[in-house]
Amino acid sequence: MPSAEDISQRIEASIPGATADVEDYTGTGDHFRATVTAAAFAGRSRIEQHRLVYEIFGAEIGGPIHALSLKTQVPQDVPGAGAAMPQPTTTQ
Amino acid sequence: MSRTTPSTELPMSPGQPAASAPAPSPAGEANPIREAISEAIAEHKVILFMKGTPEAPACGFSARTVAALQELDTPFAAVDILPDPRIRQELSAISNWPTIPQLFVNGELLGGCDIVIEMFESGELAEALV
Repeated sequence: MPSAEDISQRIEASIPGATADVEDYTGTGDHFRATVTAAAFAGRSRIEQHRLVYEIFGAEIGGPIHALSLKTQVPQDVPGAGAAMPQPTTTQ
Repeated sequence: MSRTTPSTELPMSPGQPAASAPAPSPAGEANPIREAISEAIAEHKVILFMKGTPEAPACGFSARTVAALQELDTPFAAVDILPDPRIRQELSAISNWPTIPQLFVNGELLGGCDIVIEMFESGELAEALV
């Protein structure tokens, strides 16, 4: 059963330059909430940012990790920080 | 909420044991569940794949996502993924997204609970649903 610290270390090891603040919000080792800050997110949509994190854990999400709630952000000093997610395209 | 459209039933054979999810079909073989999911996504402007129903969500993340849509008075179709494990399996294969709920708008994955709530709070969700 992973700890919040394990989750944090795996995210930081997998995404270069990332900082991950992870909380085990039920105290049961299976529901986590993570805020991940990484320059690698710049220029990517929120969907893509979340996928980068989910991909680290593969089938563990929905398995031993029942929930991994994510908030992703780009560091303030990186160009593109604060840029809104591209508007979803609307098909007519 | 009166504007919620009725839950969508995916056509699949009844009485499938819930515990035995067969491996995904090899490429090239007919995959009725995957096709039914793709059709449902194509046919509904706003469709939510969730645990439980809008009236009785079976998970807090699904409940929060439904609440955001209802707050915006958005009509949406809903599919309960719980009756057959293959629904979730095929849905995640289509969307490349591991968790439930998943909200699709105009045929595209908008996000799971975290993104939908973030977009609701920023006002982007209302814009995306126009």
